Amino acid sequence: MKDKNPLSPHIQIYSWHISSLVSISHRITGVINTVILTLVCFWISLLLFGNTNYDLIQKFFETFFGKFLIVGTVWSFSFQALSEIRHLFWDIGLGFELKISNMTGLLVIFGSFVLTIIIFILGRNLF
Amino acid sequence: MINATKKWIFLKISSVILVPLMIWFLLNLVSFYDKSYDEVFLFFTTQPSKFLFSLFIIFGYFYSALSISEVFEDYISNQKLKNVANKSLYLFAIIIPISTLLLLFKLSL
Repeated sequence: MKDKNPLSPHIQIYSWHISSLVSISHRITGVINTVILTLVCFWISLLLFGNTNYDLIQKFFETFFGKFLIVGTVWSFSFQALSEIRHLFWDIGLGFELKISNMTGLLVIFGSFVLTIIIFILGRNLF
Repeated sequence: MINATKKWIFLKISSVILVPLMIWFLLNLVSFYDKSYDEVFLFFTTQPSKFLFSLFIIFGYFYSALSISEVFEDYISNQKLKNVANKSLYLFAIIIPISTLLLLFKLSL
């Protein structure tokens, strides 16, 4: 009987909106970025051991998973940066209208992918 | 001024500082992540990247701790558990950046 108790529908019953999607993603990327920041600190601590075993790190970044980690990192931080800029505009009282809020939400989602591409183009000197 | 207001102001100040630092770090990360030990070592141990990276780590953890504590505030109803989670988070956000900065200092010697 205990297992058959109905669960509270909570967020599942609500239809998804751009603002809720961006809000939840902002929180998730915030937690992910903290994990990434810790991994970067760990990476720096590996530099202490000298260059004898550093080839392993270099090889890891050449694998699919290593490249995925870097692309994911850039996207996650880009999303967080754009979303935070959106929040800063809200803090000065701009962008609360539903239409503008939806537009800026879409701008954050698509902009994060565009910013990721721009960062790679500039960072890797692809042009 | 109540604590929640102070926390909000600190969150906003840190985010204004953090956004340009994030972009700077990402631009550099994509340029050196697959480079040799010497090039990565040089990036983290020479100025101005060492100074900017130190700021990035400090403000990154400061911002993270404040924003994750907001998540705890929203999703943890048990006060004791919330206090433990917040204290562990703040401890983590102090220990990791300080030890990384000490490491960077040691690497530069």
